Amino acid sequence: MPHELDDLPQRLSGIMGGEQVREGTAASGFSVDGAEPSLVVHPGSQEEVEAAVVACGKAGAVVVPWGGGTAIGLGNPPSRLDVVVCLDRLARIVEFDEANLNVSAEAGVRLADLQAVLAGKHEFLPLDPPQADRVTVGGLVATNSSGPSRLHYGTARDWVLGLRVVLPYGERIRCGGKVVKNVSGYDMNKLFIGSLGTLGIVTEATFKLLPVPAMRVTIVGLFRELAQAAAVVACTLESQLLPEALEALDSQALGAVASAIGLTDPSGYGLAIAVAGSRETVERQVRDFTRLLAESQATATTTLGGAQGAAAWQAIGDVQARMGVTSEERVVVKIAVPIGKTLELLSSAERLARHNGWRGAVTAHAGSGIVRAGYLVGGATLESLRDGLRALRGQAESAEGSLVVETAPAALKCSLDAWGKPPEAAEVMRRLKVEFDPRGLVSPGRFLAGI
Amino acid sequence: MASSKLAEDLRGIVGKANVLDAGVGLHLYGYDAYLEERRPDAVVFVHSTDEVAGVVRACHERGVPFVARGGGTNLSGGTIPVKGGVVIETIRMNKILEIDRANLRARVQPGMFNLEFGNALAPLGYQYLPDPASQKAATLGGNVGENSGGPHCLKYGVTTNHVFGLTVVLPDGEVAHLGGKAPDAPGYDLTGTFVGGEGTLGICTEIVARIVRLPEGVKTLLAIYDRIEDGGETVSAIVAAGMVPATLEMMDQLVIQAVEQSMKCGLPLDCATVLIIEVDGLADDLEQQAQTIADLCRKHGAREVRVAENDAERAALWAGRRGAFGAVARITPSYLVCDGTVPRTALPTVLRKVAEVSRKYDLMIPNVFHAGDGNLHPLILFDWRNAEQKVRVMKAGMEILELCVQMGGTISGEHGVGIEKMDAMRLVFSEADIRAQLKVKRAFDRRDLSNPGKMFPAPREATDAA
Ligand SMILES: Cc1cc2nc3c(=O)[nH]c(=O)nc-3n(C[C@H](O)[C@H](O)[C@H](O)COP(=O)(O)OP(=O)(O)OC[C@H]3O[C@@H](n4cnc5c(N)ncnc54)[C@H](O)[C@@H]3O)c2cc1C
Repeated sequence: MPHELDDLPQRLSGIMGGEQVREGTAASGFSVDGAEPSLVVHPGSQEEVEAAVVACGKAGAVVVPWGGGTAIGLGNPPSRLDVVVCLDRLARIVEFDEANLNVSAEAGVRLADLQAVLAGKHEFLPLDPPQADRVTVGGLVATNSSGPSRLHYGTARDWVLGLRVVLPYGERIRCGGKVVKNVSGYDMNKLFIGSLGTLGIVTEATFKLLPVPAMRVTIVGLFRELAQAAAVVACTLESQLLPEALEALDSQALGAVASAIGLTDPSGYGLAIAVAGSRETVERQVRDFTRLLAESQATATTTLGGAQGAAAWQAIGDVQARMGVTSEERVVVKIAVPIGKTLELLSSAERLARHNGWRGAVTAHAGSGIVRAGYLVGGATLESLRDGLRALRGQAESAEGSLVVETAPAALKCSLDAWGKPPEAAEVMRRLKVEFDPRGLVSPGRFLAGI
Repeated sequence: MASSKLAEDLRGIVGKANVLDAGVGLHLYGYDAYLEERRPDAVVFVHSTDEVAGVVRACHERGVPFVARGGGTNLSGGTIPVKGGVVIETIRMNKILEIDRANLRARVQPGMFNLEFGNALAPLGYQYLPDPASQKAATLGGNVGENSGGPHCLKYGVTTNHVFGLTVVLPDGEVAHLGGKAPDAPGYDLTGTFVGGEGTLGICTEIVARIVRLPEGVKTLLAIYDRIEDGGETVSAIVAAGMVPATLEMMDQLVIQAVEQSMKCGLPLDCATVLIIEVDGLADDLEQQAQTIADLCRKHGAREVRVAENDAERAALWAGRRGAFGAVARITPSYLVCDGTVPRTALPTVLRKVAEVSRKYDLMIPNVFHAGDGNLHPLILFDWRNAEQKVRVMKAGMEILELCVQMGGTISGEHGVGIEKMDAMRLVFSEADIRAQLKVKRAFDRRDLSNPGKMFPAPREATDAA
């Protein structure tokens, strides 16, 4: 720990109690891309987060916020790290205004726990990121994480009504509010969503909610050729049908989720379609999709309801996260391209695995332009990984898209920027960072363009 | 004007015929749908991103303020050049550049009218969802500037939910593409930050908008009430029943009477309020949904519920709603629209209190608004020639905003802060909150040239501005 931080542990203990401040080996398990913090603190309230950040700012200590740890690998390795501020004790649901369909929850609340409370009143937050059982509200907002149902519901930017944020030197601010329409001042929520803790620490979020649909059914079709699945996707997007999710799986991903879906010995490509709503509309869509799958030469079709469907979607969403145990043996990338290019990129990502003989799983939100690819790369050389991913990124970027490395061995991230080529407005982004964090004390170096 | 040299440069960039720097014409660009006025030094009519960049660079070099203007229909003074300078009129950048059905996106220029865009998409079976009631005269660029809403935003969200990319001319004249057809562009969400920036963060010259298929079916209902509170309660009841209609709009008696005088939509003149409720989506359950909603309306005191039997009847209902502000202008020459938003369960209470404000200040305040969103629009009627009355109007307006904030709401749902609500910002934001927003302003516009003098209240103390 740098010398000037000497009395920081005492100061932090004074704020939240000595048992919430861990040093040395007690702080292990919170390394960020190989960087070990000197201190890990667990503030118990938003006020304590504020006080802790003020103390760290005074001491010149570099802070990285930690939610559920599910996406802590996202971003470049921090250029420096002194204190991890773990938000696990900020676990209160502050207000659930069921009549007005909104909820405010502290950053450390786990999404699954939140959903359970909402479900008690037949409401839900329509965001389904990977590892929903572990991801926290703060992490969800900071990483702008999303899942298959973004097809119908969109992403965090469509559901966050308000945020409370502790800025880099401790000032606490509020963005937005709890009403569904709000143009009072700039839309500051957008700035913090997906900012990966580089502009401040999100301590509370208010979300808009929806009533739980009366019924939800999942239809899974299997195809010999990807082109056949692609035809179903194209037809669907041209139609007036309104599926909740439209997820394509390569054969390895299909294999990995087979038991959850109840398939024995599947082969080829999978297309999982969720439909939700009233009984009338669900039954109608199941009929239409079943016909469409048959017309497109699906080799098998399965229909799942209720809990079985939910389990299938969880398995699909988590398929990359469940491969391997550590980031040293696993690479997960997220590719974003215009909708019409999605399955082309799924195919390229699959070929990369096949070409290198990696085990992996590639899935795509086929109607949303998102491909997630996971590779088990235990034995692979750094060069083969770097070159392979560079080529894939090149393809995404030439389609006006991007490839973001979500999980990877730190060495790979160093030779392959996590974010890819800096965007045109990188200069505005740098100026934003400087405005909010002129001394570079919050998550420095993790974001793109050196931010 | 700072120098006639600037006017000369502007002529060089956009051509002689496209610069206005003298004469009465300038006055036309000094006001919008708010109540103030300030003559600009020059108006330029721009036709391309390059021209906008050239104009902005010329202004930036000389430290001259500029402001983007679309249709000038905003209600908060957003386009009034309060510090003088150049008005950049985008209305001639009105083309659709691309309709990309495979990617469910369109690229459009900012000067296109919202309705025109919709009319171009409809024959292809597509739509752009945000639909401000002013859509005939409001531009897509203005919609981006204000993050506009509209009747269908209850189910589908506001402008920001449908804009995925922007080409912007930054306040120093640099051009940048933010976001695009691909989702989740790495980096800060500058697209989302720019939308609703009220022209203070630069000028957008191209918009990548999401387009979606027209719904398979639509059903429109009119519920008629003898008590306004019953209408308010029905709104909550519908939502509580787990339904999300496409629209839930409300008009009270004064508005209905004005509408009927001006366009005869067949609304009953003797009722207290009506709700216009629309459900859309797959056709299979619309009948059922309409039935459920009609039952709820009756249960909560509706004396009659009508269902539009055909497109003509539906169009008549919407013509009334969309023409409401205009119709109200028949009653008095001016009105102030309050745009406060409350949690929707607070509607009955807040409507009652608005009526109290009306009595207290002896002003007529009809209501026509997006009830499902809890977004009120009390229209405070007055005659601008009566100075004493105008003072009362301003006080009444502020009191209504305070009411909304007290009920857990906010000062603007969709019309923006502009110059109108700069001081009201302090009702909802702390000094720290405002300072954080100013950081964003500085990151985009260090020299404060893009639509200066808007949105933010004067700093409390000199040190506050630091
Ligand atoms: C009768 C009536 C009904 C209305 N109904 C609604 C409604 O239902 N919902 C709603 O939300 N609003 C409504 N409004 C308000 C208004 O129509 C909207 O704010 C509209 O979006 C403004 O569009 P405009 O083209 O007139 O923009 P303008 O008034 O010209 O500009 C609005 C703001 O956007 C900025 N701006 C304009 N163009 C650009 C650009 N290219 N780049 C960056 N900034 C730009 C301007 O500087 C200004 O700050 C209504 C207004 C009236 C008069």
